[in-house]
Amino acid sequence: MIIGARPGKPSKLRRLIAAAMARDLTTFIIPGPEIVRSYGLDIDATGLKPVASPRHASVLLVAGVTSSALRDAAAVIYAQMMRPRALFALGAGELSPLPPADVIAGLSQQGLIQGVRQLRDAFAEGAFRPDVSDFDAPILHVRIEYTCPMHPEVVQNAPGACPKCGMNLVPREVQADSEYLHTAQHKAGSSTDIPLTPRPGQSDHHGINHDAAVEYTCPMHPEVIQSEPGSCPKCGMYLVPRDAQVESSHDHHDHAHSQEHEHHKMDHDAAIEYTCPMHPEVIQSEPGSCPKCGMNLEPRKTQDIQTHEHADMDSATDHGSMDHSGMDHGDMVFMSMVDVTKDLPRSSDGLPMEWIDAPFGPFFPGLPGGLLLTLTLDGDTVAGSDARPLTDNLDLSQHPPTDSTSFVRQLAGMDPLAPVAYRLLAYRALENAAGLDVPAGTAAARIGAMERERITSHLGWLSLFGQQSGFNWLMQHAASLQLAFLHADVTQAMALKPVMQALIKRLQRTPLLKSRTAGIGRLTADTALRGPVARASGVNNDARSTETACTTLGFTPVSREGGDALARLHVHLDEISHSLVLIEAAGAIELPVLADIGDVSGAGETMVETPRGMARLQLTLERGQVIAAQLETPSTHHITLIDSLTEQQSLGDALMAVGSLDLSPWEVRQ
Amino acid sequence: MTTAFLLLLLAVGAYLVAVIEAWTSSGRFRLAAPAFAALALLGRESIVPRKSDRVFFETAPVLLLISALLAAAVIPLTPDLIITDLATGALFINAALVYVLVALLMAGWGPNGAYAMVGGWRFLGQLIAYAMLIVMPITAVVMRAESLLTTQIVVSQAGLWNIVYQPLGFILFFVASMALAFLPPFDLTTAKGELAGGVEAEYSGARLAVFRLGRLVLIITLAAATVVFYLGGWQGPWLPPWAWSAIKILAVTATMLLAGRYMPRIRETDLLGWCWMLGIPLALLNILLVGVLVLVLP
Repeated sequence: MIIGARPGKPSKLRRLIAAAMARDLTTFIIPGPEIVRSYGLDIDATGLKPVASPRHASVLLVAGVTSSALRDAAAVIYAQMMRPRALFALGAGELSPLPPADVIAGLSQQGLIQGVRQLRDAFAEGAFRPDVSDFDAPILHVRIEYTCPMHPEVVQNAPGACPKCGMNLVPREVQADSEYLHTAQHKAGSSTDIPLTPRPGQSDHHGINHDAAVEYTCPMHPEVIQSEPGSCPKCGMYLVPRDAQVESSHDHHDHAHSQEHEHHKMDHDAAIEYTCPMHPEVIQSEPGSCPKCGMNLEPRKTQDIQTHEHADMDSATDHGSMDHSGMDHGDMVFMSMVDVTKDLPRSSDGLPMEWIDAPFGPFFPGLPGGLLLTLTLDGDTVAGSDARPLTDNLDLSQHPPTDSTSFVRQLAGMDPLAPVAYRLLAYRALENAAGLDVPAGTAAARIGAMERERITSHLGWLSLFGQQSGFNWLMQHAASLQLAFLHADVTQAMALKPVMQALIKRLQRTPLLKSRTAGIGRLTADTALRGPVARASGVNNDARSTETACTTLGFTPVSREGGDALARLHVHLDEISHSLVLIEAAGAIELPVLADIGDVSGAGETMVETPRGMARLQLTLERGQVIAAQLETPSTHHITLIDSLTEQQSLGDALMAVGSLDLSPWEVRQ
Repeated sequence: MTTAFLLLLLAVGAYLVAVIEAWTSSGRFRLAAPAFAALALLGRESIVPRKSDRVFFETAPVLLLISALLAAAVIPLTPDLIITDLATGALFINAALVYVLVALLMAGWGPNGAYAMVGGWRFLGQLIAYAMLIVMPITAVVMRAESLLTTQIVVSQAGLWNIVYQPLGFILFFVASMALAFLPPFDLTTAKGELAGGVEAEYSGARLAVFRLGRLVLIITLAAATVVFYLGGWQGPWLPPWAWSAIKILAVTATMLLAGRYMPRIRETDLLGWCWMLGIPLALLNILLVGVLVLVLP
């Protein structure tokens, strides 16, 4: 039995279909495939098929503990999945607002395999049930607000006219209790309901018809007014609802609004006269051709003569200005595109289009899990962006005194993508504060563990890169290597060296790879950059250079010029090779437990080169308790680069630029 | 009768394409997997997104399928096994496949979602890139056969297959067909890691099944067209004509599906730039070369 079964009596045919479903389980992974792999889970081995859109998934897999913001986003994903759908929780803990999990298992490969088996049984038996209740969550509730198609900043709760251009506001849905306009809409990982064009279906949804005096009008042709929804007879656009009484409020004579003009036209429709577009002095009451140039005369209203002549007297340029467009030559029906689009934001190519906000994340395939990227799209060019982590970020500043063991546990559990690096950071800071010395052997083994994590993290990033760029072989191969390296000892790691080298060699002669990445997301050398991102811009910034334990093992920082996605790809590959050398030199991979630091007091500061760059930790010990700590992480700065990197890029390039930063939302400090 | 038989063959072909595609993407060769996947799709709910353009949304998958089926109608598997040997067959293929664009644009516009919309726009751009490279190589093939009859085109290659006679045309046509069938690395319109499925993202259940079936038929139709135009159609020693057709079509399909696995998706600007600035001059050169060859060779 599954909670999200499809309504229906289990007939014979349905039982057959359910059996087929049980053998073809598709899954949407939360928080993301690279994170699930960092927990040591091999999804591919279980036969679950990961998919990119929740609409195509039958199983929602939630692995590890997630923040409440992520669970909200997951609830949206769950709602977007087609029934029969199941929820599969792997060591997930609290799940609300998601429904109770259909299958719960521990966060281990064995748990995963058993869970998938249970899921298959559950689907085969209970994919169809006659009594199914709907899924509901607060995040799914929407309310209608009204905004101007031309001025997105105009937002109000009631229908009406835009104070800037007088156009009728169009309704759109937002989440009922959201403070953010855009995050509210994140139907993460699937398409959104942002109305690109108002559709008729909208009006009978959620009580727009609350007011009796709603009438429907065309955004382009305000003279079209009817009491029923439908499409405009002039241009075919869907009519939008508006309040009838709103009209009276802007009955002033502001000629900037062509809408206003159209009302004149409506009022005095009776008197039509004909004039030549070239020779305004030619006016007659019948249609015909101009005696001067032979052109067909065009109709216009008598009332406009005043305006018209006035304009004529002024100058030719004034004549053609916006104020009178749609008026002059009687082409009343057609509203000038110049006029319609004059207040739209401009793209770099000068072509005004409707901008849409599209969410990419927090579970977007090809972007780091937990990162919510909202892109304002102008066609497929990115006009603006907003990136924020939806993960629970460890707040060290408001921290009660903690003993060293739980402090280490907290820091190590902070970022699932770099648990070893942050554990080591905590160790070193505590040892530093306590004034302990580390034996050389331990230091080398720690370096081994750090470098192994660097390899797995970089491979996870490579797999994500492969997924985003549609390079399937890389996505799968890097993923399986990531899993192979995750718990490898020195011998196993060395055995994987030829495979790794073959991968690197293959990437060097992969067609299209260079054109896909070269020049994308270019960063100039800046000392604020960290890790591979910095080293790809030629900044030789590596905390390992300052560690004697590292340099004695033969460490030399890897760096490249270029600062683009291609350089970052190469730096990641070079670092994997170099880390293998370091592991070989270290001869051990181990992260020994922290020695008892005792009842000491003192302050410590240390830094560690995590896979994403240098992290720095300062802490104060008081009788063995951590009473204050301050953490600085690489992704905190890198996430702020997104805006400038994506600006005016095409969507594919923008996503590539964001992906190439190798962000970890978990380590972003707010 | 022939029509029914050919439709059946087409269904079998589409099924085999699905098997090959699953094999190239996952490395596992499982003959039954597409059947389970199709049944599972039919069992899943299929919704129409709120605020969608229902007519477009419903029409698109069907139109994609019909467009591919129409193109398949003029492709001969043996000298007799053809639904209709149109006098304008070679052009008809092109005309039928134009509706692929229409179907994908409708699928992009229909659901009123950002990802699908961008996917639709991307395919519109893609059309500008591939369309000329479908027509111009066909022109050169027709020049040699001196006929638009697809059967005549096969017969014209009796001495020498077109892949040798006009290799340039073959490469251009092959790449352009991959772009037309939005196969990786030209899958800009569905782009899993960029658009979460793009035009496919909002489809589910039975509608998605029809969409995917349409795509499979499109792939096998284009592979069959490549065989007819460049690989001598049913011709070959020892084996019967139908067997040669089947082998060649499946081999071309596998090549098409496999190629994209080992490279990243092409950038849209690169695709447009290369097709216009490199592809079209090469296609013109191909026509010129074939013209010279037709005049010089007996």
